Amino acid sequence: MRIPRWLRWRSHDDLDEEIRTHLQYEIENNLSRGMTPEDARSAALRTFGNATRVQERVREGDPLAVAGSVVQDLQHSLRLWSKNPGFAIAAVVAIGLGIGVNAAIFTVANAVLLKPLAYEANGHFVYVQGAEAGCELPCDTARSYPDFLDFRAEAKSFDALVAYAFAAVNLSDTREAPERYRAMKVTANAFSTFGQQPKLGRDFTTADERVGAAPVALLTYTLWETRYGRDASIIGKAIRVDDVPTVVIGVLGPKMQFRVPLDLWLPLVPSGQWQKRDHRGLMMLGRLAQGATLQSARSEMTTISRRLEKEYSAADKGLGISVLEGRDYFNRRIRTVLVGLWIAVGLVLLVACANVANLLLGRAVARAREISIRVALGAGRWRIVRQLLVESITLSTAGGFLGWLLAIWGVRAFDIAVAGTGKPAWVDFSMDYTVFAYLSAISIGAGIAFGLVPALRLSKVDVHATLKDGGHAASGGSRGRFLSGLLVAGQMATAVTLLVGTVLVVRTLLTLYSSEIGVKTAGVLTMSVSLPDTTYSRPDDRLNFYDQLQTRIRALPGVEAVSLASSLPGHEGMSFAYEVEGSPAKDSGANRDVRGLIVAPGYFHTMGAETLAGREFTGADSLAGMPAVIVNRSFAAQYWPGLEAVGRRLRLIEGGAQQPWLTVVGVAPDIWQNETIRREFQPLIYLPYGQRPLGGMSVMARTRVPPATLAQALRLEVKQLDEHLTVYALRTLDADIELHDWAIRVFGSMFAIFAVIATVLASVGLYAVVAGAVNQRLHEIGVRIALGATSRDIVVSVLAQGMRQVAIGLVVGLLAAFGLIRALRSLLAGTFRPDAATFLIVALLLIMAGLVACAIPARRATHVDPLVALRLD
Amino acid sequence: MTGPKDNDRIQLLQGTLDLLILQTLVFGPCHGHGIATNIQSTSGEVLLIDHGSLYPALQRLEKAGLIASEWGISDKNRRARFYKLTRLGRSRLTAEAGKWEKMVRAVARILRTEGQEA
Repeated sequence: MRIPRWLRWRSHDDLDEEIRTHLQYEIENNLSRGMTPEDARSAALRTFGNATRVQERVREGDPLAVAGSVVQDLQHSLRLWSKNPGFAIAAVVAIGLGIGVNAAIFTVANAVLLKPLAYEANGHFVYVQGAEAGCELPCDTARSYPDFLDFRAEAKSFDALVAYAFAAVNLSDTREAPERYRAMKVTANAFSTFGQQPKLGRDFTTADERVGAAPVALLTYTLWETRYGRDASIIGKAIRVDDVPTVVIGVLGPKMQFRVPLDLWLPLVPSGQWQKRDHRGLMMLGRLAQGATLQSARSEMTTISRRLEKEYSAADKGLGISVLEGRDYFNRRIRTVLVGLWIAVGLVLLVACANVANLLLGRAVARAREISIRVALGAGRWRIVRQLLVESITLSTAGGFLGWLLAIWGVRAFDIAVAGTGKPAWVDFSMDYTVFAYLSAISIGAGIAFGLVPALRLSKVDVHATLKDGGHAASGGSRGRFLSGLLVAGQMATAVTLLVGTVLVVRTLLTLYSSEIGVKTAGVLTMSVSLPDTTYSRPDDRLNFYDQLQTRIRALPGVEAVSLASSLPGHEGMSFAYEVEGSPAKDSGANRDVRGLIVAPGYFHTMGAETLAGREFTGADSLAGMPAVIVNRSFAAQYWPGLEAVGRRLRLIEGGAQQPWLTVVGVAPDIWQNETIRREFQPLIYLPYGQRPLGGMSVMARTRVPPATLAQALRLEVKQLDEHLTVYALRTLDADIELHDWAIRVFGSMFAIFAVIATVLASVGLYAVVAGAVNQRLHEIGVRIALGATSRDIVVSVLAQGMRQVAIGLVVGLLAAFGLIRALRSLLAGTFRPDAATFLIVALLLIMAGLVACAIPARRATHVDPLVALRLD
Repeated sequence: MTGPKDNDRIQLLQGTLDLLILQTLVFGPCHGHGIATNIQSTSGEVLLIDHGSLYPALQRLEKAGLIASEWGISDKNRRARFYKLTRLGRSRLTAEAGKWEKMVRAVARILRTEGQEA
């Protein structure tokens, strides 16, 4: 490819001709002074100096000409690599792997953390919520509606403040079976603040949020599409939301996505509970006013919050305020994981770069001759470095292309792996310009990273020595060996760091899977039902419904036992303030809270977790019976260690008032009941459903047949009792627990994949270096064999050389990993505890990989024929 | 492509060579070889210039707009690129020549002063 003539400041031919003319004149001058034609010519050339260099210098001053010569370099390197396909493919694969994993993780991070949502583009939005005093972040809490009104009236930092509350609702209509949907209640100013008008129908108005207004709803585009088949006639029709007839007033556009998945929006009508200042249930979203910043908004809101705390101390005592950017508010947990993954893939790319750098150093012998000829012909050092860099960037760009393909595939695999785990609808894994820019940057960056050291080294080649001995000087020097040894040790160290991280994750995973949940999860089918307050307002209605439902399910063939619980194992229980008889409140003033569940008779039996002492709840634990409670082993151990727990009493404190004493009737085994990935047991209390009949309960059935086969039967039983009711979360208990662990499973396997890639790359790098060293030592090895060295001696000497680098890498890597874990301790939140076993496993893994990498060259070394080797030089 | 030492030398030569080229072109358009021989002979063969370094200098001057060039036919009936002074080049030459003389006088005075004290 040539630069068109008209584009150039001066064409190469022009300059050539000019220089030719110049020399011609000089030769003629010299001739006229009486020189012989030969002398005239050489004198002219001498006077002129290095013509090639002149041309290069002229061209260097001309950007387009520089571009032209870079194109030449490019052509040169393409020719070079196509002549050495094996080398080029090895380098491209290594670098492609490194870039691929980076691009894939960046695509995910970009989708989750960087891409703004449509509404967030309509100004600077910050998220406002309450904060418990004396609690480390994150511990958000909601604020009350009266508090919100005060904030909205007083805060000058926002030109609009929106309040919102999540609600799960049952939706029924004449079209399809009732279903449970995710709804958001918002103040009527929400969509105008977001700059998002409904696609069809109208927006909420202030009339819609007045107490007593006719209930209305806006559908999200997704719900309109999936449930109503994009039927525009739904607007103006009434549907039932939690059994309340509600008119659909409009449909939002597909771009109106909130940071959490939603199906419909309802106006926030401040009736009943909402009027109370101690009814905390609202989050806020503010658009900053002109000139306001996150800091100014934060300090203003804090001031207002302090005043409210003083003025309404009964309701707002100990309640602070937190103002956060959206990315800090919504993505805290996932961000930790993504940052971890980002570090991991960064390390993989580092290993890949070191690997290719080493391959390039290994080629120094072959290149040194060519380079020294170029230097001898007048190429400057920068010119050589540039050419070598263009070569390595050509490689890394090809690697980048391969990486791009790998990333597309990887992201698709990730998308499938996280499907059905509640991935928010707004997360869109498509690659945009940001990803493309990142991909290009790391491709070129990697090329420079792995190409610079070999290029600088080669450009300093000693022309005379190299041309004399055929290039051995360029690579054989102790500096060259030191450099490549350093690179290998570095790769090993990086791989070790990654391996330690991975082994930690995998071991945590195994511990999780093998750890006791406290119940027998196999053979249990679960579903959730929520009874609307409107049609099941009286406790008896709810008791009645669930009694009938349990009886019906128990009668199904294949069902062994049935019960109810307010939440399933692995889910957070409710929170109760309480006091124990005879045990003074340790920190008086603040209420002590304990997690608790409401369960029906036979719960522990159904779950395969028989009580340790006392009894289960029975039908007698009803509103008419004695107030009863069951505590778990941890609770009993906390208050009555080594003593009989049954028969002791505790009471709840609700709405600031002490409730009647509850008598402990049984001690249950510990059951895992929290949302974190750590399976820890905490003190729990269980209250009888007969005395606290809730509307929303989980139903569980232990079956003799595969539980999933009864799913339709369970759904049918609910429908026959009440056709407006919604059944949700209908799945086996095993599947429910699986859903919990998806994150650690997916991310754990990602870490494992990255660590394996890094280890393989590092081992291949070690292999290449040891094999190269054996090649250079053939002569010496031949001499040793001739002098009577045994195969064992040779193997030991080769292994010793390779394993020294493994050992250095191991020590440095283990230290680095230890440091990294210490640094990340706060992020890991105690989930991963490094121990000696982890480090031992990693050391063994790496030593094995190192031995395999050295074994092949070592074997080869023992097969050296001394006669052949001695004749080599 | 040049090391630091090389660079220093060129810097020193550069300004001088540029000035000499501009001065040579005052007498009319000239081609590269003509400029080189002219400088050499005018200086009484004291200044030996590396003919090769002329071309990067010419390109630099042309880019700075101090000279312009076009292909023409030389006295020996050969195609050659002729360089001529632009108006900007002429005024730059006046300024630079003034500075140069001032500097030469100053340096000479210092050298002489030093000699007296010694």
